[in-house]
Amino acid sequence: MSGIFSKAMARNIFYGGTVFFFLLFLALVYDTERELPTRDNRQNLSAEVIAGKKIWETRNCIGCHSLLGEGAYFAPELGNVYPRRGPEFIKAWMQSQPTGAPGRRQMPNFHLSDEELDNLVAFLKYSSEINTANWPPNIEG
Amino acid sequence: MNTASATALTPAPPAAQYRLAGDLAIWIFILAELLAFGVFFSAYAFTRAHHVELFDAEQRALHRDVGALNTALLLTASYFVVRAVQAAERFAARASSHWLLGAMVCGAGFIVLKLFEYGAAFDQGVSLSSSPFHMFYLSLTFFHFMHVILGMVILAALWFGARAGRYQPGDMNGMETGAAYWHMVDLVWLILFPLVYVIH
Amino acid sequence: MQYKSQAVAMPYFIAAIGLFVGQIIFGLIMGLQYVVGDFLFPEIPFNVARMVHTNLLIVWLLFGFMGAAYYLVPEETETELYSPKLALILFWVFLVAGALTVLGYLFVPYATLAQATGNDLLATMGREFLEQPLPTKLGIVVVALAFLFNISMTMLKGRKTAISMVLLLGLWGLAIFFLFSFYNPHNLVKDKFYWWFVVHLWVEGVWELILAALLAFVLIKVTGVDREVIEKWLYVIITLALVTGIIGTGHHYYWIGAPEYWQWWGSIFSALEPIPFFAMTVFAFNMVNRRRREHPNKAAVLWALGTGVMAFLGAGVWGFLHTLAPVNFYTHGTQITAAHGHMAFYGAYVMVVITIISYAMPLLRGRAANSEKAQVLEMWSFWLMTIAMVFITLFLTAAGILQVWLQRVSDTPMSFMTAQDQVALFYWMREWAGVVFFIGLLTYLASFFVKGEAKAVAS
Repeated sequence: MSGIFSKAMARNIFYGGTVFFFLLFLALVYDTERELPTRDNRQNLSAEVIAGKKIWETRNCIGCHSLLGEGAYFAPELGNVYPRRGPEFIKAWMQSQPTGAPGRRQMPNFHLSDEELDNLVAFLKYSSEINTANWPPNIEG
Repeated sequence: MNTASATALTPAPPAAQYRLAGDLAIWIFILAELLAFGVFFSAYAFTRAHHVELFDAEQRALHRDVGALNTALLLTASYFVVRAVQAAERFAARASSHWLLGAMVCGAGFIVLKLFEYGAAFDQGVSLSSSPFHMFYLSLTFFHFMHVILGMVILAALWFGARAGRYQPGDMNGMETGAAYWHMVDLVWLILFPLVYVIH
Repeated sequence: MQYKSQAVAMPYFIAAIGLFVGQIIFGLIMGLQYVVGDFLFPEIPFNVARMVHTNLLIVWLLFGFMGAAYYLVPEETETELYSPKLALILFWVFLVAGALTVLGYLFVPYATLAQATGNDLLATMGREFLEQPLPTKLGIVVVALAFLFNISMTMLKGRKTAISMVLLLGLWGLAIFFLFSFYNPHNLVKDKFYWWFVVHLWVEGVWELILAALLAFVLIKVTGVDREVIEKWLYVIITLALVTGIIGTGHHYYWIGAPEYWQWWGSIFSALEPIPFFAMTVFAFNMVNRRRREHPNKAAVLWALGTGVMAFLGAGVWGFLHTLAPVNFYTHGTQITAAHGHMAFYGAYVMVVITIISYAMPLLRGRAANSEKAQVLEMWSFWLMTIAMVFITLFLTAAGILQVWLQRVSDTPMSFMTAQDQVALFYWMREWAGVVFFIGLLTYLASFFVKGEAKAVAS
């Protein structure tokens, strides 16, 4: 069998195919934006939650923990830590760090005020109420 | 695959020899697309097996007659494209461009009908998230719909080329490549239509 | 070296290798912290070490890409670089900014760093891989734009080849998608959704264009195969990469609050993602088999072939392993992800940068190839690093499978830390494999200093 295989045609197909699939992707992104209000728990984005997210970010929590499965895998998943441990445990836990137990993984103490702790907990509560298609498989995350 | 690229450098083969119509690059693209559709169809069949009643009920709500008309439109368009290729092969550039125009009219008809179908479906609250069947119905048909649009762009390019007399015996690669793509779009619909609209 | 201005690539390559060493040292620290939890605590907590490890990786790969572009573009366009001076200025700006950022991570508490660098004006920090302070992010944009200006102007005045066009497209895409790092909505789902526009559309999108272009360039040079042949396969491969990779973004949208149809779209298209990587491997071996000349730089050929194989294994096979939604439901956010990440980054991007360095560095130093002795040492480093990375990946995969079983699948699931204790043995073995990798890296460094009779410059 023989045939033609030209660089010009391969190039056209590359550009055409890329534009095509990028537009298809954008169409799906558009639909996602329309659906998100029913899933992303935006009605509970209070001032506390927003402040809590900023504390989450500026302490680089994602550098050890994961949130909805994304981040580092050095410390427990926190997307469902609110239902797993409850607000009081989370606050007490953060205040008692580091444990100093020899040879064990250590978490720094971030010296958060009571208000900051409450905001962080509010953020973790909000995160736990996002519709994640039933992920994680169980409460241990 | 390297034999093809190697022979591309040698002079045109004797006519009697087997010849791949259209550029090898488009055939690789077509195979990739068919693979994507194929996996999608398998996923459809797999999911349908788990929700037979739901799928049956919601399939019945689709406009099968409009789908059949669309099938006729795409088949006709494919026939016109074949005629356009044949015309170009006997130096009839004008006729070739007319056949392409005909194919584009059929393709446009498909797009218009599909837009009405989508409009009605959206009014009834059909969306990618409204049910497993709707997810597949919209995903598969919209993925295909975008292929028809791309096919129309390609036909338009061929039409301009034909009018400029760019395609003639010995120089048919552009037209054959575009035609091969259009036939792929047609072929996918011939599987999609019975699968999603007809088979219960 | 055919054009004087190609010489600006040299400092970029040296910086890349230097930062690579730093990256691996921090990797070893983290690996040890996995099993000796309080190692270097509180001086270097794990999150700081990780930030340094991943940010150094990104920065040194960017140095590598830029150096590669400065080397490749003049030769492809057959003209001198638009402004070698600008290239050198940008080098120092980028290096100093990068160094300051890493020093900031190491010596300033992250919250203080955020406050001092204007995170209150525009909060962009504290998201995985995008931890850089605002001035660093802006610096990256400025450097990238000035770099692209320099490269684009060079292209405009010279010959336009497929390889340089694809490379340029990849580099522009890199800069454009980085802009999403400035978008950090309060809504966590949207934050995560668009975060992937940087991360996924980089590594499984535009970076693949850069990878394929660099590989094609080196293959033309070392095999002497016709440019036409290599360039048309280049187009076919990157078409397949983007056709599968763009919608493949969906495999990150299964469990972060996005609509559930992404489970289908993401699974189907990312299941096809190994195809372009497989094609790249077949392509690389084919071109080398059909070579028309015996290039004296055997080490560069080895790295080029290695890139194909390891990118296929790391990105293709290990990606496929956990990309289907029903599997990913259990493996998401476990050591399986870490295993895939390590081999994919090494196989695709680390190796392609070393490939171009291996090819270009001897030429920049005035010879066609290094001495036999130096090349043998470099090939030793290839095998040491590559085999070590295979074992790192296997051990992490084993740890991940156990973790999934104990913590996710079991009817009586273990808590995270209990499960971690159970898999400690694999973390120890991973750390030892990491040590071997580091030895390989030191061997690689040594190969630059080995004397011996160098091959003359090819005409």
